[in-house]
Amino acid sequence: MSKSVPTSKLARTGVAGTAILKAGSKHLKHAAKRPFLTESSSRESRQKRDDETAQILFKTFSQLRGTALKIAQMLSMESNLLPEWLRNELSKSYHQVPPLGRPLIRKLIEQEFGQPPEAVFNHFDPKAFAAASLGQVHSASTTTGEPLAVKLQYPGIDITIGNDLQLVRSIIKRTRHAKLLLSSIDEIELRLQEEVDYQHEANNTEWFQQHLKLKNITIPLVHRDLSSKRILTTTRLAGVHLEQWLQQSPSQQQRNHFGQLLYDVFVNSFYGLHALHADPNPGNYLFNSNGELGLVDFGCVRYYSADFVKLIPKLLRAYQSKDAQAVIATYQKLGMVADMSEAELQSFYENTLQPFGDWLTKPFKAGSFDFSSRSASYTEEGWMSFKNLANVKKINSLANEFIYFDRTFFGLYQIFERMGATINMEHAWLD
Amino acid sequence: MKVSKKEKAKTRQRILQAASDVIIEKGFKSASMREIARRAEVGDATIYNYFTTKEQLLYGYCEEKQDAVADALKQIKDFHEYSLREQLQQLTETELALWLPDREFLAEVFELTFYSPVSSAVNLAGTRKRFTHMVEDMIDAAIEAGEIPDQPYRELLAPLYWDYFTGILGYWLKDDSEGYANTSQLVDRSVELIAMVLHTGMIGKTLDLFSFMFRSHVSRHLKELGEYTAPWQKAKRRFMEGKDE
Repeated sequence: MSKSVPTSKLARTGVAGTAILKAGSKHLKHAAKRPFLTESSSRESRQKRDDETAQILFKTFSQLRGTALKIAQMLSMESNLLPEWLRNELSKSYHQVPPLGRPLIRKLIEQEFGQPPEAVFNHFDPKAFAAASLGQVHSASTTTGEPLAVKLQYPGIDITIGNDLQLVRSIIKRTRHAKLLLSSIDEIELRLQEEVDYQHEANNTEWFQQHLKLKNITIPLVHRDLSSKRILTTTRLAGVHLEQWLQQSPSQQQRNHFGQLLYDVFVNSFYGLHALHADPNPGNYLFNSNGELGLVDFGCVRYYSADFVKLIPKLLRAYQSKDAQAVIATYQKLGMVADMSEAELQSFYENTLQPFGDWLTKPFKAGSFDFSSRSASYTEEGWMSFKNLANVKKINSLANEFIYFDRTFFGLYQIFERMGATINMEHAWLD
Repeated sequence: MKVSKKEKAKTRQRILQAASDVIIEKGFKSASMREIARRAEVGDATIYNYFTTKEQLLYGYCEEKQDAVADALKQIKDFHEYSLREQLQQLTETELALWLPDREFLAEVFELTFYSPVSSAVNLAGTRKRFTHMVEDMIDAAIEAGEIPDQPYRELLAPLYWDYFTGILGYWLKDDSEGYANTSQLVDRSVELIAMVLHTGMIGKTLDLFSFMFRSHVSRHLKELGEYTAPWQKAKRRFMEGKDE
């Protein structure tokens, strides 16, 4: 009951309005200060101001809850303009939409299938066992007793998304990177439209189910007869989420086993299928005590072009041999357009690209890489160089495909670290 | 020929359904008793044994609807396990679901009653009674089970919910979102608020506050307002006479 969401667009705009005012005044302050600052302290102050702006945005978004928050979260995934802490905060509050009570569940099921839940399912648990993108997941069973996971969408969420997108647009119009952020919003809108159509996710799930054939990997089966645009029914996989699994203090062998599985899924999807299953969100994996890894939630699948897939190993090899020309040439083939002179490009390579490449390819050289036994966290080590790369302003169109790919990598490394796994990463990338 | 009670109820229902159909097609004003009778396949005169005016048909249909809603709620096996909030929401959603095929008909009812409180109070009395009876039952059951505290002015709560529900219907009739999703959200959130007021005993606490304020502050100062019953200092002049003299 404490979770009341400011509902009307007017009320929401009211909330947003205060944020715009606050953010606006920050800008003025900055503009006034600027002439007196040296280059480095100016950068520092800008950083500080970005942080403050982000803080205001975060406050606003968390007041809005629901879809606005999700949009903000996607925005932070999409562009690297928001600071890390904000991204973390946002990812924590990923799935906050108001819970559906029994009357709405009934209504939704009747609306989609023309029958109440008790007629459609043998058993249907009115209490959700997990939150999902824009909805919630219930356990149920078929008339033959097969366990099911039924994902239900909050009614009217598509309308709310439309309103919220407009709202978020109006907020970021006033911020410093408005143009960049606004173009990301268009991309987000497309993806959200896909996400609210569960049929799309059903297709993705089936596609992965048929194409990703790996030992010990399980992907749920879609029940088309019990699915619609707003309801997605699949078989329910056994297993627990990452944190719960870690609490059972699994052995090192088990850690390595699951880590390797995760890595193999990543490599095989990327090379074999030219597609990646969502971003590596720990909530999308189920660890089963029989050694099987379950993959769930195919709402957000990213597909890559064949060219991109072909060029990635070339890039990694070039990084490994520290071949500046080859690295830059590969980036250019990937579509990078750098607005830089020859000398600038050289220093960009030395200062930004190579440190990033060193970090990225480190695990490949080692044969198997132990993510647990390092004094400093490996991902933390890499974070700075990753951030530098992502923040380069003079490069356009490198952005989307590549940065998203890197982020997937990065997220995966973070999970490995959390698992304390040793993983053999040598094989696939450099062949 | 003697007509059985059951038969009679059936005919009544058939007439009401026909009335709804005809009114949706032609509008209330152009619908005629004769046409309704034909549609219901009863004699032109027979229909008057059941309903003497067109208005009666209109409001009779609304009453019938409430019975259907009550039946639908009884059909939900675990309805008694629902929280009060869920029950109220289910009631509201079920009303909407059952009114859906007759949405245009409801619009006519609204047209005729919404702007004339007197006619609505008289003609919709039966409908209102059936509706509030359901709400009362839910609230009473929740109090009996200790789900919510006892409420002061309990008898006012159900009529208040009726007023709220009338507002929801009005919103719904104007809702153009897909699947009336906006109405669903409005109901979801407003019922939550209503349930919160009932759960926290807000009504009682508010009354407590007012009575405290009144006793300790207002009544204490009443004397200072002066003796309003004191006699006049001199006699009043006559009405309309001798102001300037």
